[in-house]
Amino acid sequence: MMDMSGRLSGHDASDYRARFRRLFALVLIAFVVLIVRMAYLQLIRGDEYKMRSENNSVRLRKLKPFRGLIMDSRRRVLADNQPAFDLIYVPSRITDIRQIADAVAGVYAKRGLNLSGDLPPLGKTKPFVPVRLERNISLEKTALVEAHALDLPGVVVEVAPVRRYLGGDVISHVIGYTGEISREELEERESDEIGPGDIIGKAGLEKLLDPYLAGRPGAEQVEVNVTGRVIKSLGSVAPVSGLNAVLTIDFDLQTVAANALEGRAGAVVVLDARDGSVLALVSSPSFDPNLFHGGISQRDWDKLARDPRHPMENRAVSGQYPPGSTYKIVTAAAALSEGLVAPETRFYCNGSFTLGNRSYRCWQRHGHGWVSLHRALVESCDVYFYNLGKALGVDKLAEYARSFGFGVRTGIDLPREKPGLVPTREWKSIKLKEPWQPGENIPISIGQGFDLATPLQLANAYAAVANGGILWRPRLVRQIEEADGRVVKQFPPQQIGVLSLSAPHLEMIRRGLWGVVNEPGGTGGALRRPEGDVAGKTGTAQVVGMPRDERAQRARILSDRFRDHALFACFAPYRQPEIAVAVVVENAGHGGAVAAPVARKIIDAYFQFKRERETPRIAPAAPAAGRDGGKRQPAEGQRETAREDGEGEGEGEDED
Amino acid sequence: MKFNKQWLLSFDWALLVIALAVCAIGVMNIYSAGLTLTSARLPLYIKQIQWILIGLLFMALIITIDYRLLSQYAYFLHGFAILLLVFVSFYGYATHGSQRWIALGGFTFQPSELIKLTLILSLTRYFSVHGVNGALYGLKDLLTPLAIVLAPFAFIVRQPDLGTALMLLIIFLSMILFVGVRIKDLLISGVTGLLMAPVAWYFLKDYQKDRILTFFDPERDPLGAGYHIIQSMIAVGSGGLLGKGYLKGTQTQLKFLPEQQTDFVFSVFAEEWGFAGGMVLAILFLFLVLWGLKIARNARDLPGTLIAYGITIMLFWGIFINIGMVLGILPVVGIPLPFLSYGGSSVVVLMMSMGLLINISMRRFILLP
Repeated sequence: MMDMSGRLSGHDASDYRARFRRLFALVLIAFVVLIVRMAYLQLIRGDEYKMRSENNSVRLRKLKPFRGLIMDSRRRVLADNQPAFDLIYVPSRITDIRQIADAVAGVYAKRGLNLSGDLPPLGKTKPFVPVRLERNISLEKTALVEAHALDLPGVVVEVAPVRRYLGGDVISHVIGYTGEISREELEERESDEIGPGDIIGKAGLEKLLDPYLAGRPGAEQVEVNVTGRVIKSLGSVAPVSGLNAVLTIDFDLQTVAANALEGRAGAVVVLDARDGSVLALVSSPSFDPNLFHGGISQRDWDKLARDPRHPMENRAVSGQYPPGSTYKIVTAAAALSEGLVAPETRFYCNGSFTLGNRSYRCWQRHGHGWVSLHRALVESCDVYFYNLGKALGVDKLAEYARSFGFGVRTGIDLPREKPGLVPTREWKSIKLKEPWQPGENIPISIGQGFDLATPLQLANAYAAVANGGILWRPRLVRQIEEADGRVVKQFPPQQIGVLSLSAPHLEMIRRGLWGVVNEPGGTGGALRRPEGDVAGKTGTAQVVGMPRDERAQRARILSDRFRDHALFACFAPYRQPEIAVAVVVENAGHGGAVAAPVARKIIDAYFQFKRERETPRIAPAAPAAGRDGGKRQPAEGQRETAREDGEGEGEGEDED
Repeated sequence: MKFNKQWLLSFDWALLVIALAVCAIGVMNIYSAGLTLTSARLPLYIKQIQWILIGLLFMALIITIDYRLLSQYAYFLHGFAILLLVFVSFYGYATHGSQRWIALGGFTFQPSELIKLTLILSLTRYFSVHGVNGALYGLKDLLTPLAIVLAPFAFIVRQPDLGTALMLLIIFLSMILFVGVRIKDLLISGVTGLLMAPVAWYFLKDYQKDRILTFFDPERDPLGAGYHIIQSMIAVGSGGLLGKGYLKGTQTQLKFLPEQQTDFVFSVFAEEWGFAGGMVLAILFLFLVLWGLKIARNARDLPGTLIAYGITIMLFWGIFINIGMVLGILPVVGIPLPFLSYGGSSVVVLMMSMGLLINISMRRFILLP
């Protein structure tokens, strides 16, 4: 009615103005309500609230959840929790930590106890922000503090579950450890649920599986008195325990592998060749993860961190070694596939190989004479492979090395995995800014020179050779479960590649590996079991480059640090392979003499456990076995017979 | 569009200045609230400043477009905002257990904030085209407006962002009450809505149901809402007449206060500046609301009135519900305090709203082309 666009059509102006008047009034009333309420809180009850804010008596107390268990493939618990007590100080009037620490020490002194551990930075702190004075205190101290509550205002004992590693140092590199979240880690996280002082996974599976294992903290709203003691609970939300993880590791085999190294520095990896499951993964020397629960002391940490043998490093996945002669399967595969050699092609080995003005020695100084591929693998003739290396060139070799999984991370479920190194022309020109020299083709053909591989990559490559050419992603975690056993997430085997090698060629290499162990003159005789069912390859990795003269050689022997690494990689049984094993022993000498016996112990133990576990077929053990994967049981029965077939075959070949 | 000198003369400087003053108080307050928070990265007050500047850009843009044009394309704009909302519920970025953000470069944006504005525009469009010649609107006339509000409402409840969903309903109710609606018809639709609720309930996930239940019954979560209210009231009350001083609020600096940079930001302010500071802020807010209503009353046409009214009433309810919640007289619902709570999308949309108010205000004397 006011204009053509229709001002609130039909309502006259006074009605309209009245509507706005009512609105103005409504808004004014609303604001008056707010202001009156504000005045009531701030002016009338202000003093009372001021007091409450000064000794804020209502607190939100975090309730820590239990971390999930970690179990091996047979459900033996490797990591669980035990209740423990922390001594906490909630500052109110006294904000000087030293003062309260002295008071606590005084109470302790009455019973001849000390305030141990690393104190938080002594000095002033902010009121009401809890400070942990001591972790994991004894029952005696707990009782003492409770008894002297009045002398120690603000000091309270809090329950905090602590991780216990039942696997100890046998499996510490796989499980890892937990610790208090660091400032940097705290900043990386988005979640509100994690705060300073919380425990998170720091290394190994504890770190990787943290999202599953951690659980959700609960909280309790409590009213406290002046001394910080809880008067009553105003409500609580229970913490949610973390999920349990079931690994593929067989702890019995893990223990055997750890003991087999006898304390020498090195690594062992045992894989199920059929699907890449990790049955054992050992790095030596090791550490006791129980030192870390509730904060490692500075002294223990220094001892670990400064140890020249680096016990904290997981050599199985982060140790990069020249693979030595174990790498010859790659060179052989490349030469066969490229049609450079046939099984009957022979090269003459007189103990050394000359290219340009340099000569490269065979480990057998007197030479091997005329050798074919099979004998070259069996006797580990270097000269034969020098010839192949020269013909192949670096880039062709690299192409095949990658198909065996070298030079790239396998993707195992562990942090800090290293990729190793497969040199190429491009790599050298970028990294070292130098062109590739033809002479450098020679050492890399026998796994020396620039070649680097992790023990895990080695085991994985041999697993692929064993199973007919499939490269699996090594898998450590089988599944994640609820506490009641309900499976939440499974991690099925995952294929990551196929060897670029035809079946007949692969068979030639496998036969050569069988010969290494079982034929006369083979370098892996230590693995010659009565069943004749192991196939493998020795390796000896030089720590310093090829020695130029005798003096260098002598110096090397004198200094333990420059002694060769011993390697052995193998799989068994030959016909229906089940496991692949890689062993590296640092500065120990020859692979056949040092690493092969380690592998022997592991393979013997594997078949012994298998026999023991299978004998009581209908016995009460059956349900337990059924739980960790019912379908496995019959399959193993089949393989048992297949292995016996393999035995017969093996003997026949020996006569050949 | 021809430049009109009259626009500059009638530019609403007062509104802009007051809005910017409140923004400045907000930034200063967020700085204090975030002082002792450990989470590093870019401090929120810097981000808030960035958002205010972005908001000013959008404000300038909106001022140049005639609001009648905006209301003409209201349905299109609303549809676009709903599309963004649908997009967010499938590809959005989730934090705090709710999926409501779109990531744009380094910034994230909540389409649900934009919906408030397009809802006001769309309802304006509907009511200014569909007049009922003096009578009150009946049930049949309200079907389209209901569709306009319920389409985004459903998605926002699903996120779940119950505070914003509630705000949409409040805006809708305030708008239809203003244009006039038969009370009987309103009751009928209300009852129908309640009867429909169980059906909607069926489509919600457990955690969404849980949030909605907690929304209506804070006692369900004694550590969440209940705790928040106690600490918030202690903070406000302990401020006294003059406050504890800037950066000196113990409740704030010791992190007793929950959500102290967002929903409970007012308790930070009240603790540090006391009743005196609270009064100053209340008066600034009151000025903004009354000024907005004045613009609505003096607008030259119905769309102008409805848009200005819608925006002002949205501002008013945001202020009243948030402060009421902090002072413990209203239930804890996740509704931010306009201009003071940290929140990029919220600030940008508020600046756009102020732009619209200025837009309407300065075109009040101009004849239609």
